[in-house]
Amino acid sequence: MFGLIGHLTSLEHAQAVAEDLGYPEYANQGLDFWCSAPPQVVDNFQVKSVTGQVIEGKYVESCFLPEMLTQRRIKAAIRKILNAMALAQKVGLDITALGGFSSIVFEEFNLKQNNQVRNVELDFQRFTTGNTHTAYVICRQVESGAKQLGIDLSQATVAVCGATGDIGSAVCRWLDSKHQVKELLLIARNRQRLENLQEELGRGKIMDLETALPQADIIVWVASMPKGVEIAGEMLKKPCLIVDGGYPKNLDTRVKADGVHILKGGIVEHSLDITWEIMKIVEMDIPSRQMFACFAEAILLEFEGWRTNFSWGRNQISVNKMEAIGEASVKHGFCPLVAL
Amino acid sequence: MPELAVRTEFDYSSEIYKDAYSRINAIVIEGEQEAYSNYLQMAELLPEDKEELTRLAKMENRHKKGFQACGNNLQVNPDMPYAQEFFAGLHGNFQHAFSEGKVVTCLLIQALIIEAFAIAAYNIYIPVADDFARKITEGVVKDEYTHLNYGEEWLKANFATAKEELEQANKENLPLVWKMLNQVQGDAKVLGMEKEALVEDFMISYGEALSNIGFSTREIMRMSSYGLAGV
Repeated sequence: MFGLIGHLTSLEHAQAVAEDLGYPEYANQGLDFWCSAPPQVVDNFQVKSVTGQVIEGKYVESCFLPEMLTQRRIKAAIRKILNAMALAQKVGLDITALGGFSSIVFEEFNLKQNNQVRNVELDFQRFTTGNTHTAYVICRQVESGAKQLGIDLSQATVAVCGATGDIGSAVCRWLDSKHQVKELLLIARNRQRLENLQEELGRGKIMDLETALPQADIIVWVASMPKGVEIAGEMLKKPCLIVDGGYPKNLDTRVKADGVHILKGGIVEHSLDITWEIMKIVEMDIPSRQMFACFAEAILLEFEGWRTNFSWGRNQISVNKMEAIGEASVKHGFCPLVAL
Repeated sequence: MPELAVRTEFDYSSEIYKDAYSRINAIVIEGEQEAYSNYLQMAELLPEDKEELTRLAKMENRHKKGFQACGNNLQVNPDMPYAQEFFAGLHGNFQHAFSEGKVVTCLLIQALIIEAFAIAAYNIYIPVADDFARKITEGVVKDEYTHLNYGEEWLKANFATAKEELEQANKENLPLVWKMLNQVQGDAKVLGMEKEALVEDFMISYGEALSNIGFSTREIMRMSSYGLAGV
């Protein structure tokens, strides 16, 4: 059985969802309450592949909220993720995706050192960040979006914001080895990591955001921040393709200009309906079919019987692994969201 | 980036630590004492389980001695009158239920609420305890899971008839737990234990027990947070 560990996008969202689902004890409660709230298995469902195979899964709500990071409630954030993982393991999930900020919190705060959670010894083989599939989907979105806008990738300048992250570095590897894009602009906060990536790729220009964006035909946004950023649409090239693979998705409401086209990055659509209740609350356009690619990775691993931490650790995603998960993705009926 | 593995160092011999410890240590000793006598009383209500309940009671008595040793080790005199007052509400409710022969309520108070509370407190305490107390507490927490399990199994087997009484007893007793946690949060903080972590751990252990007994997720979310908002 597979699992998904998810969370809501803000305190306000959490309160609204609690109200909708009929949990008055959780609605109208402030951040302090959520900092104490335990994880819960809130949905059980089946997923059918286009091959006919059917698998079962559970959705674990961690009760993590992004405000725990912005308001420096770090201990609470860490507890949410570890407790959700312990619960996933306790209810017998074989492979579970760490959705949204879960994998980011896990990496940033080095939680692999904390494998004992009460009476549960976490077995990290049972968890995946889902980042390999997310990176693959974002790359396919870049390819498809570029084609739709008439942008020739071999002549294009691509800016990757968050280039040194797990997903960002994987996207750089793919674009470099598969398309030989003309220019690769690398944007991230940590200079040393940028230089390491540049050395690994043997190419790429290290740049700050303001310098890079006006030069880019394509912007891959894979920085994850609890708060959104402002990008002035008028300074961007026209046409410009932005694949917003950051979490949460907040660029499309912020960048408004003719000729700037934004794709919700890292989202896939399944060919068949899924009977889950919980996805109605994660603000997808078609809740019965669309989901984050990281969640879909756990589903694919379960379909394929690859019960292992396929995506784990920072910057381990190879093009080969992206191809492998990509093949599984196509085989079982998942499509990247590509309509501009 | 802060790393969780870095342990805060405590001055276990400081007056401020010892002062807080005198109350927390007393609460733990009193809790084990209450548990000891509660299990013996429950054995009267459940004669078929007398042997098992007596065995559990004896374990609680051993725990009490272990925690008394922890206090001695830090040269702290536990403030027992404070601890008896601390438990007065739950103690009164247990005795009242016992006098009426309400075994379900007795089990909820002792085998679910007090055990889950103890497990939460011990789990949160272990990473910040002194070496001596850590070893003792690690041994105790393993036992407490088996006690929680006893209550779960009995209530699971009798779920259909016990459900209504459990919900009522939950309403009457859970708010007391939140009050107790509030009362102790200042002292707990001195020992490096945060209230929100205690609440969360309690809700996890208690919620798991309710789930094993047969309650649905929706019922668990309602029951395990009952009265928390007003605190």
